[in-house]
Amino acid sequence: MDANGKITVAAEGRGVLPETVPGPAENVYLPKLAVLVRVQDEIAEVKTFYWHFVDEAEQGKFRAFRPGQFAQVSLFGVGEFPASLPPSPTEDELFFTVRNVGSCTAALHALKPGEVFGVRGPYGNGFPMEQYHGRNLVFVAGGIGLIPLRSCIVYAMAHRERYGRLQVFYGARTPSDLMYVRDLKAWEESAGLECHVTVDRPADGWKGNVGVVGSLLKKPGINVAVANSTAFVCGPPVMFRFAIKDLLQLGFAERDIVSTLERYMKCGVGKCGHCCIGVAYVCVDGPVFTYEQIKKLGEDI
Amino acid sequence: MKARLMRSEDLAMLVNAIRRRGYEVVAPFCNKGRDTYYDTVTDENIGRVRLHVPNPYYPPKRFVLPPIEGLLRVKRANGTYDLQATYEAPKRAIFGIRSCDVAGIYHLDRFYLGREFPDTYYARRRRELLLVNVVCTNAELDISDACFCVCTDTGPAARDHFDLQLMDLGAGELLAVAGTLAGEALFEEPLFTKAAQEHVERRRQILSEVRKRFKTTTCWFSATVRYVSQGSVPEKTWEEIGNRCLECGGCTYVCPACTCFTVSDRPAGRDEIERVRIWDSCALGGFTRMAGGHNPRKSVHDRRNRRFFRKLAHYFIQRELSMACVGCGRCAAVCHGDVGMPSVVEMIRRAAALEEKIEPVPADGR
Repeated sequence: MDANGKITVAAEGRGVLPETVPGPAENVYLPKLAVLVRVQDEIAEVKTFYWHFVDEAEQGKFRAFRPGQFAQVSLFGVGEFPASLPPSPTEDELFFTVRNVGSCTAALHALKPGEVFGVRGPYGNGFPMEQYHGRNLVFVAGGIGLIPLRSCIVYAMAHRERYGRLQVFYGARTPSDLMYVRDLKAWEESAGLECHVTVDRPADGWKGNVGVVGSLLKKPGINVAVANSTAFVCGPPVMFRFAIKDLLQLGFAERDIVSTLERYMKCGVGKCGHCCIGVAYVCVDGPVFTYEQIKKLGEDI
Repeated sequence: MKARLMRSEDLAMLVNAIRRRGYEVVAPFCNKGRDTYYDTVTDENIGRVRLHVPNPYYPPKRFVLPPIEGLLRVKRANGTYDLQATYEAPKRAIFGIRSCDVAGIYHLDRFYLGREFPDTYYARRRRELLLVNVVCTNAELDISDACFCVCTDTGPAARDHFDLQLMDLGAGELLAVAGTLAGEALFEEPLFTKAAQEHVERRRQILSEVRKRFKTTTCWFSATVRYVSQGSVPEKTWEEIGNRCLECGGCTYVCPACTCFTVSDRPAGRDEIERVRIWDSCALGGFTRMAGGHNPRKSVHDRRNRRFFRKLAHYFIQRELSMACVGCGRCAAVCHGDVGMPSVVEMIRRAAALEEKIEPVPADGR
């Protein structure tokens, strides 16, 4: 507190520059109203929800998000949950892809086009895409882990000239568990990107690869870009552990492997305390961390 | 900081002067024995306001962060929603707040107002709050067996972050120190007289005497900060601590520096809901459980580890430039498993002592 009785807070860590909290600060917990436009089925229990803000100005502000950031989605009367942002800021439409897994996500799944819900954000650090200029990007995703990585892939494709080789390695349990089949098809046909898809258990008519996603990385004929590359990994815990091991074996440095973590969250702004892992608040310090950082958090992920 | 003198028999007059300035004054009152509680001062109970009382269990944290606080009212109408933020920020003074709790509120300031997202609900309440700190000088009444503010360097006399500080100099005299302009404004009251250098000297003498009256000095506190920050506390020690935790969450609810909350929507009349935040506790099993059932922090000792890591790790002390333990001893007093902060420090000390690897050199000198 300064001599005038005002509460002053030094900027974090620096401790020298006091920064006076201005008048009534902006209310970070206030959601903005959004309208559901249409719903697209993805796989069992997973749907994509296209939406826009009621207020045009909010739409404009929000569209400046970075790949890898997330938003807090409000279903009034049920609660709020954090959701990754699968669209790239280079795309026109905003959408969430959400699995029906708890009370809030169930309420979103029950929503009909035209109905209103709340969104606040974008939050989190996101992937530093500008730091990767000139580098090869290797995306390794498992199951619905493709949701947050989709944003980076589409972003990199939209700025194709800024990056080296783009490779996508994607695995799911069965062919019917493959996310974003429309995008996968386009990526497989695209000349600017190498897309390899595999399934653990093939179904009738499946002509593609069989095996876990890590097996793709070692498959003869596939040449994973290792030098001057950044690998993006996202997927279920078991897949994550093995994919990291495979990438390290290929010669990736720990700081060149990035991932995005998920945790139970209530506020999204570093206050409620639920998402802490060791020294990090996933919502403000993450959700994007390098594997080097993950190892130093001080708590198991 | 400017100091004035007042008579201890004028205490009620000071409280009334603050009330006349438009503040709701809350102060600790005595129930039976050492049971005390904060309550609003009224014309009826003002005669029972005391300078020396045991510090209430239930910390004054709730005056800036209520256990249940309304965030929004959401009204459903014509297929859409009307959102109203609900602010409540009464002009309030805490009279008789102890130095440890002043440090607690300072920690909350650092946490809720610092970094990139200042919390407007907290800021609004905090801006209207006046802190009248009382220095713990009475060894029988003010200081409990569990107090360890001398180890956390938050007491017995706060150095700053109060508006006005009162200290009993004995002989019916109180030394009042103004920490802010709001505190200094109270010196306009005719209760105050000039203080001399001799009074400041007496304050110093009393403080050096009082420091010796603390039973829990926990001199290993700073070493524990180092062990926890280095991650060198053996997993087995956390398991022992976890085994003694009853997972009641009591330590977090009585902690003046704990900040965690959960958010819940609840019905508030026809077509209307209220979004509230509620104190939450990292001691509870569901704290990190995600939808679908995955819980990254399953075992009790992981959660105990978490609480003490959050409070003691150097990283967080630096991040907030303040420590999330203020030495009030409430966790020690409330814990049925006796794993409050002083006990944990002692368990870590013992584990560290056992870590010693001294091998006597055999006679042949190899």
